Amino acid sequence: MNSKSTKTYLSYIIFGVVLAALPLLVSTGIIKTSWVGIIGGTIIYAIAGLGLNLLLGYSGLISLGTAGFMGLGAYISAYISGDLGLPWELGMLLAIVIPLAFGILIGLASLRMEGLYLGIVTLCVSEILRKTFDELEPITGGFSGKKADFPTLFGVIELDQNTTYILLVVVLVLLMILTYNLANGQLGRALHAMRGSQVAAQAMGVSLLKYRLIAFALATAYASLAGALYVHFIRFVYPSTWTLSVSLVIMALVVIGGLRSIFGTFIGAVIVYALPDLLLKNIPVIGDINGLSYIFSGVLIILVVLFYPGGVVNLFSSIGNKFKKNDSSAATLATAADAAGETPVAAATTEGTEASNE
Amino acid sequence: MSNDLTMEQDEILRLDHLSINFGGLKAVDDLSFSIKDKEIFGLIGPNGAGKTTVFNCITQFYRPNEGSSVLFRTKSGEVEQLVGQPVHNIIRKGLVRTFQNVELIEELPIIDNVLIGAHIDFKSSGLAQALRLPSARREEAEMREKAMEVLEFMGIKELAGELVGGQPYGVRKKVEMARTLMCEPKLIILDEPAAGLNDIETQQLAESIYQVRDKYNCTILLVEHDMRLVMSICDRICAISFGKYLACGTPSEMQNDPKVQEAYLGEKETAQ
Repeated sequence: MNSKSTKTYLSYIIFGVVLAALPLLVSTGIIKTSWVGIIGGTIIYAIAGLGLNLLLGYSGLISLGTAGFMGLGAYISAYISGDLGLPWELGMLLAIVIPLAFGILIGLASLRMEGLYLGIVTLCVSEILRKTFDELEPITGGFSGKKADFPTLFGVIELDQNTTYILLVVVLVLLMILTYNLANGQLGRALHAMRGSQVAAQAMGVSLLKYRLIAFALATAYASLAGALYVHFIRFVYPSTWTLSVSLVIMALVVIGGLRSIFGTFIGAVIVYALPDLLLKNIPVIGDINGLSYIFSGVLIILVVLFYPGGVVNLFSSIGNKFKKNDSSAATLATAADAAGETPVAAATTEGTEASNE
Repeated sequence: MSNDLTMEQDEILRLDHLSINFGGLKAVDDLSFSIKDKEIFGLIGPNGAGKTTVFNCITQFYRPNEGSSVLFRTKSGEVEQLVGQPVHNIIRKGLVRTFQNVELIEELPIIDNVLIGAHIDFKSSGLAQALRLPSARREEAEMREKAMEVLEFMGIKELAGELVGGQPYGVRKKVEMARTLMCEPKLIILDEPAAGLNDIETQQLAESIYQVRDKYNCTILLVEHDMRLVMSICDRICAISFGKYLACGTPSEMQNDPKVQEAYLGEKETAQ
């Protein structure tokens, strides 16, 4: 167990190092400058997706309000570090804490609602927030939007686009580790229990109120953090950004990448957010269709739900298993033990499930 | 609800005037019985007699009517009134249950399902868990070890890492039983433990119920349709019909009770 989590951390860190190398590749001219912006955006979507995965994947609760909270985080951070001139870190902190309070309120409401109804309520909250961004001009700048700067760390280190991108990578890796810890401990099991069976969860001492609040608080915190990072990376924010379509894209990336999978969330973000920008737009004729990325993710959701309910991440582990199975069945043939024939296959499936948990 | 918290010294659970209505239907009607410590106690009755409803009233999934009393001698030895307590607090008193339609988490390995039974025993804070501080890591490792011991006791240790989804019914039932043992309960409530099991599995179940009682020093209350099982393992049995008390006694007393014979055991041949 212990070595398994160390291995997982290591894989996240290696992943982070690879991602952080992107600006270097750009400087050598191997890939285009625009990639930093696109992959940076992907990371931001993945962060919000990790939060939604805790809610949707682990707890089985739905939220269509992700966009509203991302926007709230973005405006709060931009206002505090820009207009008030306070430290960037303080802005980030408040940009998480204030939306978190909203999240807890929704958690309270979720005790009385399920499924679609919860979806509608969260969507309404999100739309109310968006309308507020429109109207609250002194703080949000209204329709014309609001500017923000790249972060200044500890009041001295001024970041540019590339270093902000590296900051995004660091935050993503830290959150992946944090999410892994939460998901694989007592809290994660309690969320699982709540999704699996509410009655059994309660009989085992899981308070539905407490854990629903925690699930919503976490999802909101991740979303608002993603929003706050967005505003300091893109350096501009409009109210019209935070529509239902952002919430839907984040839900799509969680489902396509893999429910309850941490790497899957990032893979989902790449597929839903980055691929349309990087590849589809370059295809002649088709690339010019408006809203092509929505068609793309819509079709993908249908395909994934039909053929890979565990998400695209399972595609990788099942390919991996195929190789392992071939290897081990050859080994078993060699030893020719009847009873032992089951063990390697069982071991392979176990490893597969472990992989998908990471 | 009566405020009287007196129980006989050897009693662990005592129901007094337990009633519950669903609209106009009296599902449980003025039911009183008590269970002694370390007893294997059976609750029987035909379909729709309200057996599971009684369970749900004891564990507070349902709120019984005014005047109902469910007294329980908790882990600390004190007598507490269960009526009115939050559902998720019941397990903390030392009372845990299984479900008629095995309620497990398909997507989790067996060991993690068992660990859910230890939910209330985790002391480290959410922050300690999120940062995986040494205290949280040690706690998790200890609990895992305990879960492995319980799985070994149930004879399914080698399946610990397998997902619950895809396991046969017999294994699932064992996992659910293992989950109840994690909290070191005083009283385990089993809702139709033999349903869906074949003869051999039922035999094994009877064995393991004895073993659980002896090893974990707990009392067992079960609802069961399999009369052979009930009659062979229970120390005492209570029979109810349409939510009303009929009779209570040892298996042989019950078998010889004409009312019970007629209402529950049907023909004499099956009542042997």
